[in-house]
Parts: sequence; structure tokens; C-alpha cells
Amino acid sequence: MNLTAGFQIIVNGMATGGVYAIFALGYTLVFSILGIINFAHSAVFTLGAYFTYALLGSQFGFNGLLARGRLPFGLSFPLALLGGAILAGLVAVMVERLAFRPLRKRGADPLLMLVSSLGVAVAIVNIIQYLFGAEPYTFPNILGGLPGSVNLGTPGTPLVARTVQLLIAGVSLVILALLTVYINYTNTGKALRAVAEDATTASLLGINTDRLVLLTFFLSGFIGGIAGTLVGLSVGITGPYFGIAFGLKGLSVIILGGLGSIPGAVLGGIVIGIGENLVPAEHVGYKDAVAFALLFIVLLVRPQGLLGRTQIQKV
Amino acid sequence: MSLLAVRNMTRRFGGLLAVSDVSFSVYKGEIFGLIGPNGAGKTTLFNLITGLTPPSSGDLEYKNRYITRLKPHQIAELGIARTFQNIRLFGNLTALENVLVSQHVHTRSGVLSGVIGTPGARREERQARWQAMELLEMVKLSDRAHVPALSFSYGDQRRLEIARALALQPELLLLDEPSAGMNANEKTTLTGFIREIRDRFGLTVVLIEHHVPMVMNLCDRIAVLNFGQLIALGEPAAVQNDSAVIEAYLGEQ
Repeated sequence: MNLTAGFQIIVNGMATGGVYAIFALGYTLVFSILGIINFAHSAVFTLGAYFTYALLGSQFGFNGLLARGRLPFGLSFPLALLGGAILAGLVAVMVERLAFRPLRKRGADPLLMLVSSLGVAVAIVNIIQYLFGAEPYTFPNILGGLPGSVNLGTPGTPLVARTVQLLIAGVSLVILALLTVYINYTNTGKALRAVAEDATTASLLGINTDRLVLLTFFLSGFIGGIAGTLVGLSVGITGPYFGIAFGLKGLSVIILGGLGSIPGAVLGGIVIGIGENLVPAEHVGYKDAVAFALLFIVLLVRPQGLLGRTQIQKV
Repeated sequence: MSLLAVRNMTRRFGGLLAVSDVSFSVYKGEIFGLIGPNGAGKTTLFNLITGLTPPSSGDLEYKNRYITRLKPHQIAELGIARTFQNIRLFGNLTALENVLVSQHVHTRSGVLSGVIGTPGARREERQARWQAMELLEMVKLSDRAHVPALSFSYGDQRRLEIARALALQPELLLLDEPSAGMNANEKTTLTGFIREIRDRFGLTVVLIEHHVPMVMNLCDRIAVLNFGQLIALGEPAAVQNDSAVIEAYLGEQ
């Protein structure tokens, strides 16, 4: 393996892994607060990509209610990314209000919330199909005048990477860094961690847990939407079911890293991202097999995941 | 002046009357003991006062305001803090973070200004930390402020839980069996400590306690619960000689 190939594996691995990580963190945030997997997360991911696409002012497809339409304005990519993420976050907040809170208030079994989130996911996917049609979408060139690839080495020993991959890796890392600071060093972050550990006690200390649950869903949808856009940039939006396969990958990331662990989701994302990119181009069909084989092996050795804690039962 | 008035509080769990038509007032500045045999409804009463359990009937008045239907976090904001019989610290958070969490209520900076670190937010943050460290100093845990709470010894966890409750800047502090698991020496120290925080922070304290000498020594007034009913209320000496109380504790003679 030559240097350039190795370098590309790392850049692509970081880009893929970074997106996996931020996507999986959306699951982790909700899981750590409510103890359930929010299956609607993959649908919100899909929506994020469509929202950003729309905000860029691009034309919609030939099917669906919005056929051939476009927004009367087009935003620059950073603004469209942010706008798409905010809209995705607001959808996630709606999901909480409609699919989770009513059940939570009645003290329903967590399994029921899992099922209702699955229902919301199906509904969102169908709404997307109704609005945007079932065809794939390709993002317009958002790089402007930038070259499609850059050489980070010297002309003698080239280290070439696709600009889009660098952008994806960069945005993912920035999001990861911001989220880490937010959760560990701000008051709201501390409150979030307190609610994650013991919501009842947190409420007795004056923390409005309902508001923090909403915030958690917003954050989860926000980063899910960013992940959707980034994947869309890399491979295009493959259709309304775009997020479903990705959702499975996200689940394997959090289980690999350790359910409910934030560093675990990041590590799991990077491990699977780099693992997938180690598959040679001529065997690209085995990418997913590698991801799930990694998961399988780790679970054999460490059932709690890479950074998961074994549950300590309090007596 | 009455700070907290409990009026005809009743709570049923299915067929069980956990708290039955209990009424009493707690006066500002006093240390009020709540005693009774196991299962008498003492902790349920705490849960009712803090809004964790809604009452079946009855009213709660705090500082001349009805708080019966308020949510736990709203009641906490009004200045009622509590500790738990089985300590409930945030084990993965450090001692300092545990205390800072309950100061959350008193810091004004919003979601965004906290992230960006506006000068106002940073000043607030510094002040909160300083106050939290002072509280930790008071319970003699400041040297381990950055250690996760779950690695603390039992006695230290009890003191940390009290510091966390105090960080809420409460006027009414509810202590659920603060001396549980302590030896005689620690119990004496705790008695002094409760008096000290009452005086220093102008608190009113309600405590559930099984250790009779401590209750008699510490409390200004005592309420005795048995099978959910209030069977005696008054000064320690009077309660101690009350025939209904003796019967509840020792059985019929």
C-alpha cells in the first residue's frame, strides 16, 4: 500500500467515521436521557438532507407534490446546512411531542415508545416521498471555485484527498468538538447529564426535565440533519429511504462504542468508518459486511461495547 | 409565622392509605421532626410536599401560596430542597458538578450565551463555582471537588447531598433520615451541623429521623405518624410522654 492510498483511507475513514459519529450521537443523546432508541432519527437525518437541498435553491425532482418547483431564494452552503439542521431539529422536537411525550406522561412501557418512533419514521419517509418524489437527488456543486481535490503532500509524494471528503471530516470534527464542550462545560450540559443519570432527582433540584428532553431532541435532530446533508453531499440523496440503511449503521456504531456513551459513539463511528474504507475499491460491495463483522467481533469480546460500562445495579 | 402548612393531606396507593388526613404547620426558623415506625408515611409526605407524588386530596401552602399542583422543579425553584433516605447523587458527576447542577436555577445565562461564553455568563459561572466551592468547604469536601461522587464514602455522600440541597438556596430543607448509617460520634457532629446551617442560612428544617435521642435534642417540635395518621404533635418532651406515641412504638400494654 503506498502512502497516498493510506492517506486517502484515513481521510475517507475520518469523513465517513465522523458522519457516523455525529449521526450516532443523535441516538446516544436521546438514549441517555430516555433510555430508548429513537427510530425516527434516521428519518430526521433524511429530512435534513432534503431541507438543505431545498434551501440551496435547487430544483426539486419530477415526481411528488413539489415537482419541478424550487424555493424563490437560494442560500449559500453554510447557511443552508445550518438552516437544514435547525429545521431537522424542529422536526425532532415535534416527534418528541407527538410520539414520545404522550406515552411518557402515561408511564408507558419504553417498548411502546420504540414502536411509536418507528411509526413516525414510516410516516416521515412517506411524507418525503409524497412531497419530493422517490427519485435520487444530487447536490449542486457547493464548492464554488474550489478544486475538486487537493494535494496536501508535495508534488513528489502526493497526498491527494477529495475536497468534499475534507469538508465532511472538518464539519464533523467541529460538531463533535462543540457538542463535547457543550455537554461537559456548560450549565445546560451539566443539567443534561444530571437528567440522564436521574431525572427525578434533577427535577427536585429545580431542573425542568421536560424542557431538557425537548432540547435533547432538538440537538439530536440538529446533528442528525447535518449528518444527512454531509452524506448527501458525498453520495447524493438516494431517495426517501436514504436514512434507513444509514440508520442501521448508526445503531451498530452506538452498540460497538457502548450504548449511551458519548465518547463511545465517536470511537465506534471512527472505527467503523476507517474499517469500511480499508475495503479495496474492487470489493466495495463488502463494505457493510466489514462494519457488521467488526460489530460482531467486538460484541463477542466486549458485550458492553468498546467504551460501555457494565451496568452497576444500585441496591 | 407558618412557612409551610399541610392541610388534610391524603394519599392512597390502591387500597393503602399511605397518608391519611394529615394537617400541621411548620414555622419559620424551626427544626421540625417527623417520626414514626417504618411504613408510617413519612417519606410519602416528603414526596407530596416536593411534588413528586400528587395528593389524593388536601392542600399544601408554602409562604401563603398554594403549591399543591406545582411540578417538582417549580417547587424547588420556590425554595424547598430535600435529601433522600437512600442517597441520590449524580454518581458520574464530580462533587463540584453535583453542587453546580442545583445552582442551575439561579444562573440566568441562556442556552446560547453559555456556549459562546459572553462576559455576563462567564461572570455568573465564576460566581456559581465560587459559591459551590464554599459549600463544599463547609461540608469538608473541597479537596475532592473534582472527584466523581460515586467514589465517595457513605458519610461523605450524605454531606455532599446536603451541600447540593443547600446550593438551591432553599428556605425549607427536608432531610430524609440524615443520620442513617452513621455511628454515634457522627450523629453528634451531624446534630451540630444541622443547627449550624439552620442559623447560617436562615433555614427551616424538617427532618425524618429514627434516632430518638437526636430528634429529642435537635427538634423544636415533633410530629408523629403511624399508619399514615398524625397521632401526636408538639414539643419533644410532651410527645415523648404521649400515650398514643408510646403505644405506636412499643405496642399496647
